[in-house]
Order: sequence, then structure tokens, then C-alpha cells
Amino acid sequence: MTSPAVAHEHAHGHERAERERLPVIRGREQAAPFSAKVDVVIVGSGAGGAVLARELARDGRSVLVLEEGGHYAPSEYGAMTPSNSFRRLSREAGMSVALGLGDTPLISLLAGKCVGGSSVLTGGVCFRIPEEVLHTWSSSLGLGRMTPEGLDPFFSEVEGICHVEDVPAHMRSRATELFVEGADKLGIPMKTMRRNTKGCRGAARCNFGCPNGAKMSVDVSFLPDAVAHGATVVSDALVERIDITGGVARGVRGRFLDGVTGEPRVRFEVRAKLVVVACGSMHTPILLRRSGLDSVHIGRHLTLHPAVRIGALFDEAVDGWDGALQSVYTDHFLGDGIWLNGVYSPVNVLAAAFPGVGREHRRLVKQMPNLAFFGGMVHDDGGGQVRRWISREPLVTYKMVKRDKARLLKTIHILGRMAFAAGAREVLTPIFGMATVKKEKDLEFLLEDKVAASKVECMAFHPLGSAKMATTADAGVVKPTGETWAVDNLFVCDGSILPTSIGVNSQLPIMSVAMMLARGIAADFERYSSRA
Amino acid sequence: MTKDFARSTLNARHRPVLRALAEAMFSPDGEVVPERLDAFVDDVDGFISPASKTLRFGLVLMLFAIRWSPLLFFRFRTFEELTVDERVHHLERLERSKVKQLPLLVVAYKTVLTMIFYEDETEQRAIGYPGHARERWKTALPVVQPRREAIGSEEAAS
Ligand SMILES: Cc1cc2nc3c(=O)[nH]c(=O)nc-3n(C[C@H](O)[C@H](O)[C@H](O)COP(=O)(O)OP(=O)(O)OC[C@H]3O[C@@H](n4cnc5c(N)ncnc54)[C@H](O)[C@@H]3O)c2cc1C
Ligand code: SF4
Repeated sequence: MTSPAVAHEHAHGHERAERERLPVIRGREQAAPFSAKVDVVIVGSGAGGAVLARELARDGRSVLVLEEGGHYAPSEYGAMTPSNSFRRLSREAGMSVALGLGDTPLISLLAGKCVGGSSVLTGGVCFRIPEEVLHTWSSSLGLGRMTPEGLDPFFSEVEGICHVEDVPAHMRSRATELFVEGADKLGIPMKTMRRNTKGCRGAARCNFGCPNGAKMSVDVSFLPDAVAHGATVVSDALVERIDITGGVARGVRGRFLDGVTGEPRVRFEVRAKLVVVACGSMHTPILLRRSGLDSVHIGRHLTLHPAVRIGALFDEAVDGWDGALQSVYTDHFLGDGIWLNGVYSPVNVLAAAFPGVGREHRRLVKQMPNLAFFGGMVHDDGGGQVRRWISREPLVTYKMVKRDKARLLKTIHILGRMAFAAGAREVLTPIFGMATVKKEKDLEFLLEDKVAASKVECMAFHPLGSAKMATTADAGVVKPTGETWAVDNLFVCDGSILPTSIGVNSQLPIMSVAMMLARGIAADFERYSSRA
Repeated sequence: MTKDFARSTLNARHRPVLRALAEAMFSPDGEVVPERLDAFVDDVDGFISPASKTLRFGLVLMLFAIRWSPLLFFRFRTFEELTVDERVHHLERLERSKVKQLPLLVVAYKTVLTMIFYEDETEQRAIGYPGHARERWKTALPVVQPRREAIGSEEAAS
């Protein structure tokens, strides 16, 4: 007789093998030009594009998804070292930045470039859009369907499909437990995180592709279902232009990336009744502009959720790698636009941010088992802009408003206090060139506006809003249906359409809004195709 | 299986600067053998090469700036001509500098170099990371068992 545990492992093994099987046409292996005619062509296979592909394929439409990045199965990316994962799955090998204008940090910008897009790299954290944000969208911005009640069915459905679950307390690493203790001493309540995982074993390397096939990113959830319903996914396919005639989108054209050099080479062309751009907030504006759209809002209003993290050195070994990557958070400071959550990363990635050079750097690295990390992000004001530039990648600039800089420094201050309250002996702040802080009172400078923002090591994972939705053509790029104001049958469906910063992690919000738009497109498909 | 693209960024002029940087960062007391430093430079080249032309150009430009940066402090030698201790001291000064761009030179390369250097399993063990042999993970963190009713409803759905 098989024991329940063995049967469970078996079931999991079978499920994982199923998830492995995503048939993708690899553009880098295509030697001859290619053309196709479909109902819907979707550019980008990330959170937005994948959901739309599933919905429209299920609705019986012929769907083609074109993705610039490569395709790697979970067994492949799960075995990659972090640097290999950056090289193969991330845009610019993980080295994209937003250039700071004025008193603004240089912000490291991470985004996926692979089948599944950024969703392959998430920490798995899932939040619904906060009600206050939705109230602003629905009442002040006039986006009537964007209410908590209006979006609730879509949130629930997406949560079901990608298996959003509470992270159990036993998945917390000792490092996280210490931060929870520190927060508790300061009267800061911590809450349990929800993540899109199935069978998570706490390997704390979700941002580099889950080695256990446990994270339900879109390449293992939505895309396989889309393909099962007839959609085709093509990797290494860079879309360079949308074909527009008579004010109607008719298809796209581009080139497959060469298998050796990675440069665009063999041409392809796709005719379609509907074109959906889902290239993410950094690339959707580039494709729209290249295709002749000229709204002043394209590329503007980019929000980033600038984020920081601190390290805390304890006397005891905390082995932060033993646990889920992110398992707790607090919204206690939401009024201040600050969101705190537990974080961890592979040790070599963490070591990269330690202060000092040579012996001092090595001293800290050698104490890795005793180091815990905690992070926070700021609900920001859209000071970013994406522009076409001399290369394929955009020029991203960001001007941080004074309020957000103060929030960022306050985040570091709170995290430092939590660390000391938990018994940390030294705190590693994300301020370039600064030695570790040994006493809590030495954190006070953070509240005195003495630190130049350029000294703060800052990163962002949630670029949003660069082709925002609005109720008039004067105020934004797309209509509430997702269709562009400028061109018929051209839709945008990714993080770029969110009209403001949301203050929480963005994958579930993007997927749920995408599902809502997809249902609308499906309902009106005949009307759209009559214009094609 | 998706095959990797093969491109290279660093040429014979850039490599000694990068090697000198790596030596200052990870081998101030000669703990890393020269062959490993050479192989490390190849690894870094492999890492940065998938990036866009603009970014690669920027990274090469930064190496050029690091090479000549001792001049900023009136030291009339290139970075790789400094002794290892002088290089460490020089990098610390750059990292602490009030001029906005100078710390970024160090931080950009330190980030890439450190990530790749400490990816090596021997180095990871030396800093206390046990790799896959993680005891707490194996014992105290069991695989989450799905709830009975969840299994039931999934079976019913399939
Ligand atoms: C490291 C990291 C961690 C994160 N962690 C979390 C988390 O824990 N929780 C959370 O909610 N969110 C998280 N996020 C954010 C979340 O992943 C993104 O907000 C979301 O996936 C973005 O979806 P999108 O559809 O807008 O774009 P993406 O998912 O980025 O997809 C865009 C796709 O389009 C492709 N593309 C671009 N241009 C072209 C073109 N011209 N031709 C063809 N293809 C093109 C890109 O290669 C990319 O694959 C994280 C992001 C990152 C990078
Ligand atoms: S914590 Fe580990 S097992 Fe869980 S989803 Fe992340 S990488 Fe996968």
C-alpha cells in the first residue's frame, strides 16, 4: 500500500511534470522568415499577456503570443545559479537602472525577459489592490468598474488559478522570526504573507526561478492552459512595430533573435484582428511610440515603488536561507506610504550589497549565517519617465519627490530600529560607503534629511503606469476597456495601464485587471473584428 | 533546452583592470590563485555580455574611468599599477566620495563581481552557507500538505 506522503509526492511529481510541458516555438532556432494570420496577437508573455492569452484562447480565438525573451522550463531555471538566471531570464542581465534626476537615487530596475516575463522572478507575494486606491480610481478618476466589488470576482479567480495561499508560520526563517520579535517589541504588528505557491519548500531563491517548481508563475499556470486551448507561444521574437492602417491595428512585425549573437535577424510578420501590447511598463511605451502613437502620456507617470533593505548582524546564527523568501509583512505604516516585508536572497546576491572593499567586505561576508535581512518599499508619486533611446532598451529616468525621499529614509530608520530591538549587534544600512551602525541612536541622521538620495542603494520591482488608463484621450493612453484612445483594435494589457501607484506588489493586480479586460474583449470580439 | 547566446564584451585592454579590481576585492592577502582570477574575468565577461550594446558600452566606459581614477587623487599611475593595498584604499575613497558618480563606479562593479565570486561552492562553504545540505530546511520545514478538502475539490474539478 502507498503511504499518503508517498502518494502526495507522486501527485506533486506528476503535476510538476505537467507544468514542465509548455510547448514553445523557439525563435532562435528559426532559419526562415515566418508569417501568420490569427485572431489575436499578444506581444509579451508576462503577467498581463499570459492571462489575456488564456482567456481569449478559452473563448475560442486563435491566439499567438510573441515573446522577446527565451524559454526555459522550470527544471532548467530551477537549476541555474543566480548569475545565470539574471543572464538568461532578466532584462539587461539584471543591470537595468532608472537614472535619478535631482535628489534621487540611482534605482536598480529588475524585470523579466523570458517566457512568463517578470512573473518568473517574483517573490510570489500576492496582494489585492488596496481599497483606498480603488476608491480613488473609481471615484476621482472615473474608472467606474475599478471598485473593490467590481474587481473581487477577478481577484478570486486569479488567486484560485495561481494558488495563492498563506505562508505557514513554520516556513518563517529564524531571520524572519527575529524581525517579527523586533517589530513586536516596537508595537508593530506583523501579518502573514500570501503567495502563489504550491508545495513551497522554503528555498528562498524565488527571484531567480523556483528550483522546486513550486511558484505558480504564469509560465506554469496561465500559459499552459492557454496552449491547451490552442494558443501558440513563440520565444525570442522581438516585435518591432505594430502595423496600423486607417486608424486600425492590423498586425505586428519584428525579427527573431539570432541563436548565436542574440541580435535580431530573421523577419516575421503577423496579421491579426486584435493586437495586444503587453510588454511591461518599460517596453510598452517604446513599442507604441515606434509604431507612431504620439499621446503625451506615453512613457510618463511611471511609478516604481522604490525599495530598500537592511542587514542585521546577530550573535546567533540565523541561517536566513532556511525558509520562505518572504513570509511576513506589515501595513502598519501605510498612512506614511511605507510597506515593510521580510526578504532574503541567495547569499552571493546579498553579499554584493555589503559595504566596504577587501578585508572589511570579507569580514561581513563571513558572518553571513548571522545576518538577517528585512526590506521595505514606498508608495510613490509617478515621477518616472520611459523614453526611446539609442539602443533597444529604453532610457528610464525618475525624479523622486521630497516626500518619497523622506519616506525612503524613514523606512531604513524603522527597519534599523526593529533590528536593534530584536538584539542585532550591527546594522548594515543601504547607504553607499557607510560603515555598519552599532547603536540605535546612530540611526537618527536618517530623519534629519542629511543624506543625499544618490547615496541610497535603491531598487524597484514594480514599474507601473507608463501608458495609463483614463476616461478621456486627454488624460491617458488607453480607455477603460484597455483599447488605446488613438488606434482601434490596439489594446494594452500589462502594468503600464494602472493609473496610479498601488503601494503593494503588482502581479496579482495586473493579472486581475487583465482578466477583467479579457472578459470585456471576449464579449465584444465580434464588434472589434468587424472593424478589422 | 534553450541554447545560450555567445557574445563577448571585454577585450585585452579591459581585462587587466577587471582582474586588478577582483584582486583588490577578494584577494587582498593573496588568498585567490592567479588562474582563478583569470577564469573569474571570463565569468564576468559572460555575465555582462547578454546586456544591450548601450549598457555594455557604459560598463566598458566605467572600467576606463576606474583605470584612470587614481589621477583624481593626484596619483600618477593607473589603477592596475597600484599595489593591492593601495587599490583597496583607493576603492574605499571612491565609495565614500561625495561626488555623485564616483561611488557608483565601485558599486556597479562590486555588485557584479561579488555576486559571481561568491557563487562558487567552495567560497559559499567558506562563508558558512551549507548549500543543499540544509538541516533545518529538511527537518523543521516539512513540505506543506494540501488540506483534505482542497484535494477533494481539486479531484472533483479534474
Ligand atoms: C525580481 C522581481 C520580483 C518581483 N516580486 C514580486 C512579488 O513578489 N509579488 C508581486 O506581486 N510582484 C512582484 N514583482 C512584479 C511583477 O512581477 C510585475 O509587476 C509583473 O509581472 C509585470 O507584468 P507585466 O505583464 O506588466 O510585464 P512583464 O511580466 O514584465 O512582461 C512583459 C514581457 O514582454 C516582453 N517584451 C517586452 N517588449 C517586447 C517586444 N517588443 N517584443 C516581444 N516581447 C516583448 C518582455 O520580455 C516580458 O517578458 C516582481 C518583479 C521582479 C522583477
Ligand atoms: S521559497 Fe523556494 S520553494 Fe518556495 S517558491 Fe520560493 S524558490 Fe520555490
